[in-house]
Amino acid sequence: MQGLILSGILISTYLMFIAKRMSALTRVFALQSFFLFLATYIAAKELGQLDLYIVAGLLLVLKVLLIPMLLGKIINKIKVSQDLGLFINAQISLFCALFFTFLAWVFSARLNIPGSHTEVGVFAIAFLVVLTGLFLMISRATALAQIIGLLAMENGLFLFAATVSGGMPFFVEIAIFFDIFVSVIIMGLFVYKINNLFTHIDVNKLTRLKG
Amino acid sequence: MQIFFILGIPILLATLTFLFKKQKARGLANAVGYFMVLLLSIALFKRILFLKSAISFFGFIYLDALSGFFILITSTVAFAVSLYSIGYIGKDMEEGKLPEGKARAYYLLFNLFCLSMFFVPSVNNLGLLWVGIEMTTLISAFLVGFYNTKESVEAAWKYIIICSVGIIFALLGTILFSYSFSMTGLAKSLNWSDIVPVAHILDKNILKIAFIFILVGYGTKAGLAPMHTWLPDAHSQAIAPISALLSGVLLKTSIYAILRFGIIVIKGVGFSYFGNLMILLGLISLVIASGFILVQKDLKRLLAYSSIEHVGIISIGFGLGAPLATVGALLHIFYHAVTKSLMFFGAGNIVSNYKQHNMHSIKGVIKSMPFTGFMMLMGVFALCGFPPFAIFISEILIIISAFSIGSYLVAGSLLILLSVIFGAFINHFGKMLFGRLPKGRQVMGEPLSGKLGFLFLFILVCISGVAFTIFKKDLLWIAQKLLQV
Repeated sequence: MQGLILSGILISTYLMFIAKRMSALTRVFALQSFFLFLATYIAAKELGQLDLYIVAGLLLVLKVLLIPMLLGKIINKIKVSQDLGLFINAQISLFCALFFTFLAWVFSARLNIPGSHTEVGVFAIAFLVVLTGLFLMISRATALAQIIGLLAMENGLFLFAATVSGGMPFFVEIAIFFDIFVSVIIMGLFVYKINNLFTHIDVNKLTRLKG
Repeated sequence: MQIFFILGIPILLATLTFLFKKQKARGLANAVGYFMVLLLSIALFKRILFLKSAISFFGFIYLDALSGFFILITSTVAFAVSLYSIGYIGKDMEEGKLPEGKARAYYLLFNLFCLSMFFVPSVNNLGLLWVGIEMTTLISAFLVGFYNTKESVEAAWKYIIICSVGIIFALLGTILFSYSFSMTGLAKSLNWSDIVPVAHILDKNILKIAFIFILVGYGTKAGLAPMHTWLPDAHSQAIAPISALLSGVLLKTSIYAILRFGIIVIKGVGFSYFGNLMILLGLISLVIASGFILVQKDLKRLLAYSSIEHVGIISIGFGLGAPLATVGALLHIFYHAVTKSLMFFGAGNIVSNYKQHNMHSIKGVIKSMPFTGFMMLMGVFALCGFPPFAIFISEILIIISAFSIGSYLVAGSLLILLSVIFGAFINHFGKMLFGRLPKGRQVMGEPLSGKLGFLFLFILVCISGVAFTIFKKDLLWIAQKLLQV
């Protein structure tokens, strides 16, 4: 079961690399978060901890439902083209994905974690997700892709924290969720503002400030 | 006990903004409120200094001398800014740049921003520290994009994105710290006061990797080069009183976070790892800042790059590791906060009068605005480290200790870069302050409340430099207290 969920996360991460349209990217993000939710839910069931149930519930409500809905609303409202603006096309992005997988694997193998082999695998996937987020932020031109990149990085960190230390302390976890949600709302507001002022959301063209 | 009032007053003022009808009353209430916060934080700092152990409430709030010091800095600058805002916001409203609703929003955001910056040094949990710092970003993003022009929205977007990515790395570092702590088999906790006593048994390799992430993450927010790229944009586009807060205090709260983690790393891995990284980043910041300062055309960007320079000096001071250098760096944090706020106030007045940022078109400031011009002139000397002023003391402490522990390379490059920056500053400001007055510009009066903010900071800049020579012993004792964490 664990293996299935992990491969689910891995596949949804690869899908992020080849998504060309904004709505596709948002859906893939929701899918990734859903697999994270499943993993947390199963862990909660095994350990029987109320804290983990609440965290899983928050994941489902915020990251699987609310945030993708919010982003979908923004996409509909601003009425720009659906194109994500790929600097690096989908095929080469996929090659990058393979390279990142390798890097993440080497890094987590080097960390010297005492424990089972699966744990190293989880580590590698967590780092891959973080790297994916970073890659999306750099190689996609629209502001929306940057938001999703940031959220993907946060997903990777969530997975990482859950495996290494059994998650953060409970109220820190809640505070971080709240924080992520607020930051998505605020970034969404700024996307509106950028669209109003510039009539596009191509952040590559924001070049008024220099020097 | 004072800490609850310090955190409570900004909340109270934030809710009160909707009650006041008149702009003057609102501004005045804020100034009074922050004056009380200032007094409270002085009392708090004094109390902590004479206590043997740190103050702690429910393991949630943890105050030692270091936190008290940063709270004191924040409240000092916040008080000056609240004074300056009365005049500045009033003038913007008269000119029709800000509608009534926006002025209210300004005070609401200003109070929330201050609240988040008081929250950061007082919290014990490293995860909540992260949340606090992310909150400062999110709130101040609105204040950066306050005028809703193309430039300011662009600056705000870059600010929020770059700092959020940076801070995600800091979260990764925090998780690694908590991982190394959980490996010891003790109860799960992210409290700083729980981690420090066992720092020596934490896994060294993980601590090293974790600190790199922390340094990159919080270093982004602190404005250390090469992660500084958001800083000139945000500082130059933010509304003037907020530029002062950004540069004076916001950068320092991130340095505070780096120091908190640094203390764990120093205890766990040894000093040289921490020291070398800090010196390296500090020197890179100085080099990059000096280059951009030389060729700068925009007044507020010039001051922003100067902030990068001073953060670099602070980082070098902590990296040297000699007690005297650490004292210098701590003092520099305070001195830079007051001096740079003074400069940003002046820049704000100049920009709102001349309606532009470009230094080539700003001439004869001292004739058209005698008060601001004079303050700027003194401020430039203070900022470059001229003897009677405060920054001279802290810079000389850092340079002396660099020589005395034998890092001649660091001391030499520091001196060379500082003199380059000094030359550039005198050149830029000489032209701006003394050049011939453009035609059609008259002498302008300035509102009293604005002047009060200037005078408060100016007196601090002058006194804190002189006071050091008189109260050397007391100050060194205080600094020693700060180091005993």
